[in-house]
Amino acid sequence: MYSIIVVPPPTTEDETDRTQIRLAPGERLSFGRSASDNDLTIAHDGVSRRAGEITAQGAFWILSNLSREQTYVVENPEGAGEHIKVGPGRLDAPVPFEFSRIVLPAAGDLLAVEVWAPRHDYLSPDGGLDGATTAPAFSVDRTKRYFAVLAALCEPRLRGEPHAPLPTVDQVVDRLRPHWPAASRTSVQWNIDYLAVKLRLKPGPETADTGPRLNGKKESLVSLALRFDLVREDDLIVLRGPARPVAPAPGRAAR
Amino acid sequence: MTEPYAVPVPKGYRVGVWEVREPIATGAFGSVYEGRRVGTGTARPAEVALKFLPTGTGTPRQLSHLRELIDREVELHRRLKQPRLIRMYETLVVDDPERPALDGATVLVLEKAQGSLSALLARTPRPEAGPALLAQICEGLAQLHRAGWVHGDLKPANVLLMQDGSARLADFNMAAELEGTHAYTPAFSTPDYTPPELLWSEIGERGRRIRPSADVWAFGVLAHLVLTDSFPLPGGTPTARRDAAAAYARGTDELRLSPELPDAWREIVRDCLTRTHTDRIGSQALLRRVEAAAGTGRSPRLPRSLLPRRRSRRTTMLAAATAVVAVSALGYGISTWAGAGTEGAGASGGETTKVTAATYGASELRTDKGIPVAYRRLIVDSAHDCVQQEVTPALIAALLKAESNFDPDLSDPSVGEEGEYGIARWTPSVLRWWIRADGVAAEETPRPPFTPAESIPAVGRYLCFIEPRLKTSLPGDRRVLIAASYRTSSKVVNEENGVPARIRDYADRVAHYLKEYTPPGKK
Repeated sequence: MYSIIVVPPPTTEDETDRTQIRLAPGERLSFGRSASDNDLTIAHDGVSRRAGEITAQGAFWILSNLSREQTYVVENPEGAGEHIKVGPGRLDAPVPFEFSRIVLPAAGDLLAVEVWAPRHDYLSPDGGLDGATTAPAFSVDRTKRYFAVLAALCEPRLRGEPHAPLPTVDQVVDRLRPHWPAASRTSVQWNIDYLAVKLRLKPGPETADTGPRLNGKKESLVSLALRFDLVREDDLIVLRGPARPVAPAPGRAAR
Repeated sequence: MTEPYAVPVPKGYRVGVWEVREPIATGAFGSVYEGRRVGTGTARPAEVALKFLPTGTGTPRQLSHLRELIDREVELHRRLKQPRLIRMYETLVVDDPERPALDGATVLVLEKAQGSLSALLARTPRPEAGPALLAQICEGLAQLHRAGWVHGDLKPANVLLMQDGSARLADFNMAAELEGTHAYTPAFSTPDYTPPELLWSEIGERGRRIRPSADVWAFGVLAHLVLTDSFPLPGGTPTARRDAAAAYARGTDELRLSPELPDAWREIVRDCLTRTHTDRIGSQALLRRVEAAAGTGRSPRLPRSLLPRRRSRRTTMLAAATAVVAVSALGYGISTWAGAGTEGAGASGGETTKVTAATYGASELRTDKGIPVAYRRLIVDSAHDCVQQEVTPALIAALLKAESNFDPDLSDPSVGEEGEYGIARWTPSVLRWWIRADGVAAEETPRPPFTPAESIPAVGRYLCFIEPRLKTSLPGDRRVLIAASYRTSSKVVNEENGVPARIRDYADRVAHYLKEYTPPGKK
């Protein structure tokens, strides 16, 4: 029932599978240098002993800056520079981003703690805000990169070949690069992993082994997305550009 | 209702033998219109509800989930015909290339209702017939669950009220047939009625796993809403209430039900809204308690017009649908309905013999020997839940009499290490094994006080477990031996080859009351 995921800064350079700490609404995670006072220890001399607290608050989260003199910057990595500043001593500052990177200035280094809020709600194309309306269990932001990745994965099947093989990660990179120049294998793979979290994909039995199981994950994502109409044919416009953000396709509201 | 209709259909439009009349409602997936029969030569009713689902627009690929939702609804209607579920007469597909917006739409021809519970609640918060309606809604759920289905989207808008004021469940788009302990439903839900374990739950390719206990949670929310005009979880918005549900499920918050909730219902709602699905009450046991609560709540003010008369049982009154009172909620297997509260409400009733709480199970349990009326239904139903013939209502009643003299508040902490509590003198660590209707031990040892509604069904289950474990060679009345095993254990009674000497007194008392409570002519 978690709503917020905290990804601590990488501890070693090569670590690929970074820890994820999952917070349910109301849960609090304190971080800082001191190993005894904090839930998450950030072993860097430039970080305050008790540096801050992250609290999951429903679908969003709040940040307390417990340091004496450092200002923390919370960046939206997909927001073209969009960020907020949380000054020293500020308690419970709300953060509106789905993806955030808390940058801790630490003696010349910048340490990044990532926080994901995958449960943000969006107005569904045909539903209201009302708690009595039957609503789909997913809500996706069609302006985010993960949506473009999902659309690229679904594209062959949406274009009329129900059994078309799924594009490989490299093909997805090529497909997206015209409008997302920084696209890379890693970033696309990151978005696929994030989609699995966001769409609450049930880990299949194959997750026990660590071999190449990416295909299973992609396959599940695509069949889920098509089954529940998360991506429809008119959504493929995100692959054509112009660059994000993309307005909802015309005709959607009428449905 | 200014929202656009999902499927606009002009008035007077013909589909099959039906002519479309006024719009009734529009939901997340389609629109419902009144329909009037214009063709002849069919046994269909003159008026129906026509549910139009937009299967024709767009490509089939884009509407794959809608197709699936419709299939679910049709499949359920095809397989299940139960008195508390709305009926479907037929399905049609619109063939009208002239109207691309309608061409290919699927039309479900359904029994026409007077309105929905949500419309009733909007007009009359806390309707007087609330308890009776809840009993019927619960009956519908029990019927669904017994048939092996889960509704998946129980809420006031999906409860329809018929002309005679009775309630039926409708909208089976999310319904799914159970496969073992759970079913798979599409990943749609109504936030205010979603149990916490399904909030942000994992979703596999087959959809979301759901158990009948999800419907039980939704029923708890609905009962609270009907009886108090408020949601059980605090918050001004669905999102706030969803977060409150999450906090409650995590154990950081307690459940604070409205003080307006009558006591009898408080326990019921609490047992529906447990933190985890495993602790939730089963719908069959729920039904018995809901009927008891609705029945005891209504009986003192039962209008005279509802008393049985020698009249045609087909007569039904259409007056004052909102003030309808359920006779069935009081008694046993009666389904006659009548309007009440208006002066003209005289022509109703039935020739069926009515059974009130005071005479419930009279053929097996005497009514004149001081067994408290409030427990009759629990006692009789608990005995009936057991397949062993020896576990009779009279045995359970005699046991309760011998254990506590029917004292629901008995508390005797001095006995043994844990003490004994409640009407059946349960030892907490033993009750743990029998408290749940599904025969699984509760996760934690329950803490007293134990209510009769918990204690008595658990006695029935325990006795039912004991019976086959007693040797057939034991001398004496087998029912007394069962009671003796309840006091000690089946092992002790087997080893001592009969009633152990130290509980002789107790066994004699059970034997005495057993005889007293059994109606003449019964064993």
